[in-house]
Amino acid sequence: MAIKLGDIHLRRYKVGPGMIFIWIVGALGLAVAAWRWIAGLGATTNLSDHRGWGIWISFDMMAGIGLAAGAFTIAAVVYIFNLKKFYPLVRPTLLTGFISYILAALTLLADLGFPLRIWHLVIYNNIHSPLFEIGWCVMLYSAVLALEFSPVVFEALHWKVPLKIIHGIQIPLIIAGITLSTLHQSTLGTMLTIMPYRIHPLWYSPLMPVFYYISAIAAGLGMVVFESYNSARTYGYRFELKLLSSLTKIVPWVLGLYLVLKLGELVVSGDYVYLLKGDLASVLFIIEMMGGVVIPMLMFADPKTRNTSNGIIWAAFYAMGGLIMNRINSALTFFGGALYLPAWSEIAVSVGLTCLGIIMFDAAVRFLPMFPEPKVEAGKK
Amino acid sequence: MPINRREFLKTAGAGLGGLALVDSPLSQLEIQAKQQEANDQASMLYDATKCVGCRACQVACKSRSSLPPVTDPERIWERPLDLSADTWTLIKLYDGEEGTSFIKANCMHCVEPACASVCPVAALEKTDAGPVVYHAERCIGCRYCMAACPFGIPKAQWYSNAPKIQKCDFCADRLAGGERPACADACPTGAINFGSRQEMLDVAHSRVTDTERYVNTVYGEHEAGGTDVLYIAGINPLLLGLPELDDRSLPSIDWPYMKAVPWVVGIVGAFLTATYFYTHRNESKEVQDGH
Amino acid sequence: MAIQTHTETDAQVSSMLSRRDFLAFCSLMAGALALPKSSEELISKALASKARVPVVWLELQDCAGCSEAFLRSSAPTAAEVVLDILSVDYHETIMAASGKRAEEAKEATIAAGGYLLVVEGSISLDEDNGYCCIGGKSSVQLLEEAAKNAIAIVAVGNCACFGGLPKANPNPTNAVGVMDLIKDKPVLNIPGCPMNPVNLTATVVHFLTFGALPEMDALHRPMFAFGHLIHDNCERRGHFTAGEFVREWGDEGHRLGYCLYKMGCKGPMTYHNCPSVRFNEGTNWPIGAGHPCIGCSEPGFWDLETYTPIELAKFTPPEQYPGIVPPEREITPLGAAITGGTLGVVVGAAGAFAYDMMTRQAGNEQKAEDAKLGPDEHGDQK
Repeated sequence: MAIKLGDIHLRRYKVGPGMIFIWIVGALGLAVAAWRWIAGLGATTNLSDHRGWGIWISFDMMAGIGLAAGAFTIAAVVYIFNLKKFYPLVRPTLLTGFISYILAALTLLADLGFPLRIWHLVIYNNIHSPLFEIGWCVMLYSAVLALEFSPVVFEALHWKVPLKIIHGIQIPLIIAGITLSTLHQSTLGTMLTIMPYRIHPLWYSPLMPVFYYISAIAAGLGMVVFESYNSARTYGYRFELKLLSSLTKIVPWVLGLYLVLKLGELVVSGDYVYLLKGDLASVLFIIEMMGGVVIPMLMFADPKTRNTSNGIIWAAFYAMGGLIMNRINSALTFFGGALYLPAWSEIAVSVGLTCLGIIMFDAAVRFLPMFPEPKVEAGKK
Repeated sequence: MPINRREFLKTAGAGLGGLALVDSPLSQLEIQAKQQEANDQASMLYDATKCVGCRACQVACKSRSSLPPVTDPERIWERPLDLSADTWTLIKLYDGEEGTSFIKANCMHCVEPACASVCPVAALEKTDAGPVVYHAERCIGCRYCMAACPFGIPKAQWYSNAPKIQKCDFCADRLAGGERPACADACPTGAINFGSRQEMLDVAHSRVTDTERYVNTVYGEHEAGGTDVLYIAGINPLLLGLPELDDRSLPSIDWPYMKAVPWVVGIVGAFLTATYFYTHRNESKEVQDGH
Repeated sequence: MAIQTHTETDAQVSSMLSRRDFLAFCSLMAGALALPKSSEELISKALASKARVPVVWLELQDCAGCSEAFLRSSAPTAAEVVLDILSVDYHETIMAASGKRAEEAKEATIAAGGYLLVVEGSISLDEDNGYCCIGGKSSVQLLEEAAKNAIAIVAVGNCACFGGLPKANPNPTNAVGVMDLIKDKPVLNIPGCPMNPVNLTATVVHFLTFGALPEMDALHRPMFAFGHLIHDNCERRGHFTAGEFVREWGDEGHRLGYCLYKMGCKGPMTYHNCPSVRFNEGTNWPIGAGHPCIGCSEPGFWDLETYTPIELAKFTPPEQYPGIVPPEREITPLGAAITGGTLGVVVGAAGAFAYDMMTRQAGNEQKAEDAKLGPDEHGDQK
């Protein structure tokens, strides 16, 4: 029984070779993570005593959670600020956010020295610790996201009563979600404030919690754009260009505020002198600011750019890339410690978990009523 | 720079959430009480000018803590190249332009330790007696302590798949039994002195007045808010591997943010609720419940 | 092995020196030969009873330093005893006869056989150019003739053992050692420059006591004297291990007797017993006097640079304490390749994505979608 690769379908969508490749890579990533559980961190990473955090923390955790900020942003826009027209963007963004937090938890399971003790956060506490607060907020917020996403599942299962219950508590849930997100997105920045001697002055600032929060909002909105575009390309759904163009009108303001605060802080604290050094740090800082803040700010501000799919996607990429660069610069590249390049196994787990996320999203699209509107037939893959 | 930062912190704090973020100034009495408490704690003074590099302290530490041997790449037993999970104290040698001096590297047992402050499960604890101890059964292996310590002291057991964090524990159990730390007992020249922090500070200050022999500074008196392990030497301690730190205790930097958490919850929650009701003021209840 | 001897009575031997001195000598020999204390008696018996062994002592391309060393004993005991036990029938430097008489004495001894041949100085293979021509014969001839009836051959000094100074670059005389020429008889090498006379004495005593040459190493050197590296017995070894070196002549370290490795000491590659027996009846030895060993018991030592430290084959002096800053981690080419490769893949994927996007009809998508959908979509269009 020979099945041609082009003929495989799963619940009305094709399974392309790309998806199969992603399954394989995802499985490999999980296998490497399992090996890490057995062999220990020393054997499977390039971490060392003077470099305790690598790409799993700076990229998968910090950048990953930052990019997931689209969920609470879109929830605030649609439900709190009552801009109902943006509703079509909610489900995929919520799903992406939920998946991102699951991936963050999985990354923690790979990175922690005692992954099975992750529940210790419940029985032990230390209110001085930013990580304690982040741990709780992430746990609670993941529950909130699960509940917020549950209507999609209940719709698929045709369970009316749970659906009603969730609808009843939806607003408090969303308020809780936005509050929790505000807390942990900013506390990811607070985490770094206790390390003034380790973090490069260009990134270190008492305002880091504010910077992390603001950049998360901007990049989160970028993620919303990307999510919609990805669904359009892969599953043939409508690319909500008009909605996104309208939504992202706020991004230049967010990025502008970020830029003003960041540059202002550099001037007031006197750390701008580090920009004049012309070393790697100053170069990467300028690239991060230009590419991750100024360019997307200008692109989103220009209606002509914002109204074309090319333009808005690129602007979103720049914004997301800026966040990723910012997290990696502050928590890895210019974080004092031993020389470090990620090992192949660390890269494999990172890539594998990302693929896992894609698989989860793909499964949701196939099995759940993710897009209540009818899909566009022609001209898609 | 530090002064600018403190002022900026206060201004930023004010902008962010008002009084909640600004640390209320401690009264004179409170400050004195905190100091007194710190100065009663167990403390160690290492006098580098008296150290001859015999490494009896290294051996005693390994023996008391049942640590496995660690060698350098050429398999020399007495010369691990750095502190590690299996080496809690180490004699290093500075041999350079300013002269020659030994230096004993180990946990500084800070008065306000960053490691204990950032541990999410309180696996590292600053005991009242002074030592910063580790509760292995609590640890989740997040390695935040390793990142936060300005001295880079906590080390992990990388070779294990249940990697504990290891560092000098000041022989807390021995102290509890009225004994001195193993290294202090082993030192034949009196380079390692043990007593209360006040006693050690007094001894240190009386010694460093001899400027022919010592550099006139007691490292650890104020650094990072003060440490229980103090250093005096004939060479600038900053050349001996001790980092240049200002007198802020590190936990005092992020505690204002953590104290603000309930305020943030309250303010954001209130703001969102108010906004919700405002933006839905003209809608009927049914519409509100819909998606 | 028939030994032709001139007999001498016990009384005559022991009357030449006191019993105490004689026993002291035997004890010294036992020590030099690394034999147990019980051997002293054995040795004393052997020396007292044996008849005198004839010796032919050839000097070829030599400086006579080894002979001088042998004779330069401040305590007459050693040389006298041996010279009383040996009948040195031919020795150009010390024999009374000269010229034809000397040659006749030599030829007679050789013809009679049963003698010990001691060779000092190297042999020049370049016979045509007449280097080292003694009594009309080349050194090759002299050696071959003398070796004919010898019961054993002892080459003393680096020249006779390995070619020595004459063999040093550029080796104009094409000099070689005895064992490069004589292959059919046992040749014992006692190198050194000069040899340590104690070692020759001890070898002779061994020979007389046990009737055989002592155990030899691969270079035919007696193990009792050349079995250990100087480095392993040096009194300054502790300084080597502690990393305390002389760095300049006359510096503090030099005054304190620090290790001379960095001044070029060849002790770590040289087999000899100088640290134990020393020279001039135990007075001192080069390293004890503050000069690095030049490796004079090793072949080709003249071609080494005296003051340049050698590569240590087995063990380099360790840095004994870790430095203040721990060694930096290295970035392996593989590690860089992996990270670079990943970045390349990411950038490449982004580029491919970008290309794909650009080749679609930008901006027309929205219109196309709007056209295909019904009018039931979201109301506001901003």
